[in-house]
Amino acid sequence: MDLHGMAPHSESGKLEQVVSQFLLKSLHIILDSRIPSLHPRDPTCDSRVRKSDKWFNLVLGDRPAALDNLNFWHRNLMDPMIIDIILVQQGTAISTSVGNLLSGSPGRTATETVIERWLVQFESPPRGTASQPSEGSAASYKKTYKKSIIFLRSLYLQTRLLPAYRIFKQLSSSSQPFNFDIIYKVSSFSEPFSRVEEEMMKEYRFVPIEALPGRLHVSVTYRPQLSEFNLQPLTTMPPKIISDYVGSPATDPLRYFPSSYKGDRAISFPSKVMHSPTSVPFQRPHSWTSGFHKPVVNHHLAGSPTVYRTSQMSYDSPSPPMERMQNHRRPLHQRAPFYDECQLSPPFSPSVSPSTPTYLRNSESPRQTRAISETAPVTIPSPISGRSSRYISPNFSDPSKLSLPPLSPRSTRLDNSSNESPSGMRLIKKPEASRADLGSAGQKVLKDNKDDSGRFSGLLSSSDSPRVGFSRSSSKLSFQDDIDDCDFSCPFDVDDVDPPDSRISQNVDWKRNLESTSMGRKSQDAAVGVLVHMLRTAPPLRQDSSCYSSRSLRAEVENDGVATTASGFFMPRRTSDALEELRSYREMKDLLLSKSGTRVLTREPP
Amino acid sequence: MNCEVCQLKELEVEHFEIREVLRCILHTIVFHRALGLVRPKVIDLELFDITYVQCGDGELEKKIDEKIEQFISWVEKHPNKKSQVCISFYEVKNKHPSWFTNKTERLYWEQWYINLNVSQQQKVHSGKSHPSKIVVDPGDSLEERSARRAALETSLREVLFQIIKFVNEKKDHVPPISDGVVYFPYEVTIPSSSDSAFGMDMIKRMLQTGGHPTMLS
Repeated sequence: MDLHGMAPHSESGKLEQVVSQFLLKSLHIILDSRIPSLHPRDPTCDSRVRKSDKWFNLVLGDRPAALDNLNFWHRNLMDPMIIDIILVQQGTAISTSVGNLLSGSPGRTATETVIERWLVQFESPPRGTASQPSEGSAASYKKTYKKSIIFLRSLYLQTRLLPAYRIFKQLSSSSQPFNFDIIYKVSSFSEPFSRVEEEMMKEYRFVPIEALPGRLHVSVTYRPQLSEFNLQPLTTMPPKIISDYVGSPATDPLRYFPSSYKGDRAISFPSKVMHSPTSVPFQRPHSWTSGFHKPVVNHHLAGSPTVYRTSQMSYDSPSPPMERMQNHRRPLHQRAPFYDECQLSPPFSPSVSPSTPTYLRNSESPRQTRAISETAPVTIPSPISGRSSRYISPNFSDPSKLSLPPLSPRSTRLDNSSNESPSGMRLIKKPEASRADLGSAGQKVLKDNKDDSGRFSGLLSSSDSPRVGFSRSSSKLSFQDDIDDCDFSCPFDVDDVDPPDSRISQNVDWKRNLESTSMGRKSQDAAVGVLVHMLRTAPPLRQDSSCYSSRSLRAEVENDGVATTASGFFMPRRTSDALEELRSYREMKDLLLSKSGTRVLTREPP
Repeated sequence: MNCEVCQLKELEVEHFEIREVLRCILHTIVFHRALGLVRPKVIDLELFDITYVQCGDGELEKKIDEKIEQFISWVEKHPNKKSQVCISFYEVKNKHPSWFTNKTERLYWEQWYINLNVSQQQKVHSGKSHPSKIVVDPGDSLEERSARRAALETSLREVLFQIIKFVNEKKDHVPPISDGVVYFPYEVTIPSSSDSAFGMDMIKRMLQTGGHPTMLS
């Protein structure tokens, strides 16, 4: 029965209108719950009721533009309306080659799978058997309308109970890109499913709606399980600055022990820790270089309409009146700004990256500090504390300042510091002198450290956080490359992070303490404090045996309440510094000998 | 006019799940019977991976929540029992008015029975339960709990499909829609506290379901 050509006010005309609007409303409901790009951003904020909303008393908001085109091709109401919901998945391998990424042709393929197929059809009885409009049919379109209202309510719910709604929610609720997309295709003809596909799908048929003289049939064939598709977010993640990481001043200011230790500075561990953060933003493609990856997604999916069109053209041809409606992922365009934003993100990297080592450093330092404090739970004299804390805070409160400055400023600063207070390095050098006394190992270390001394010291003075070491020759040599690449500090290294001023004061205090050990308890405490500091800055245990002997020496001396020379680990930069240190050691030695007598003499290191 | 009755599949729920389950079912039923202009509101359940649809009417939400709270109070007083919540749709018919009375009669044209079996719970709190509180039965293992939760989710989904099927199969009994009216008059009935009424409910249930009566603890 041809409903066309009837006067709109006649029964048939009204029924045709109801059927036509029913098709549109059904399509709107289905697309609204399947295609993220067509889904209104915030439906609650739009309170107006459109003319289209009044149909079937169901307010859905703006109709997608695709629906406006529906009337052009769906001329014959008898033609079925087939809505295919297609899952598009990216290919498997993610190319790390920049060229491939930018070219957008990495050889990836997209797989399309029809996960749902909706069929909405107005079925009229064959010609000749259709009954003439009876008296009761005057209100039949009204009954059809009322039943359609109820049906469309249930369709609205049904679309949200089927499995495809879950992945729609995934796509629409998250701003991050995924490795899949959902598109749709509306046509009046579709390629039938293969046998394999049919077996994987279930069908649900709604009860037909009476629309005299015909009926409205709605059914859906859907995949009950979508878990077989590896649907997940893309690995590229925009950078995120974590300001409240463990150990940050905001979260845990007490961890710094600001008053006493140099030792609570970050003792960064091996090179990789330090090395990687600075290089991550520029080398690892999956960190914040989302700009590299996203264009792939963008490009690929932007190209998808072409791809999908060509692929679908094959079954488009049999029915010319049919119009293919597709969407490509509009968020591609909408997200282009997002991608641009991500590309802007790398400027964060210099500030962000050091937070990682800082975090690690901080996480390291308490342990280190604790380990050391367990051996000598005595606070270090206060003159150091103020300066120490001053140098602690900038590092941890402002991640951007953690990026280690280049070499030259440090060197300059070093020179200044050395000019200001040559004796400031004395403490550093003294251990070195004692190490030289200890033997060739010390000398070797001396040599090695000389090469790196400027860098290390400069590093420390600028950042104040890592403890730069000199301690081991072999381990030091192994880190050369890393040192070249970035500023690196070894664990158990001498902590010369204090600025020259503090060093001077410290040295002076230490000297004072040495001289006045016999004066009384106060000086003894101070001496013990200095000793503790020396212990803390002692070389690692895996140093040669001289280390142990020197430690035992210190222990002995501590028992006697006299500070002794600490094992050396600071690296003199010049011979004159070394000699000066040696001189001071000799003085100390003499002093100790005078105090302790033969006992010390017998324990002198070889 | 016939009164169509729909007995929904029985659900085994824990105390803290009652609110969400009842909200989901009641709003779904009302949504299908609110044939006036409606702006649907999609709600994701917190305890289950299920989405349902409300009418987006604050007043309606409030009324239904009140009824649910009354039911929860009843359940707290009568623990470990099977219970029913009934939502009925009716038409108001005016009887011929007289001097003393102006009675209106309710003609029920549809009734939905939501059957719940609230399992025993060791409640930590007493009184009104808060939506965010979750009472944990320490006796159950994690696996048992998650298995029960999954089974309830499946059953709840089946109940929703049952509602969809029922509303599409039976449409002729639905009265005509009045202009300007969104909802048909409805009534939510919860079990009464009185013993006699409860006994009657039990008998009714037995006759309807043909099953064994629940032994009172």
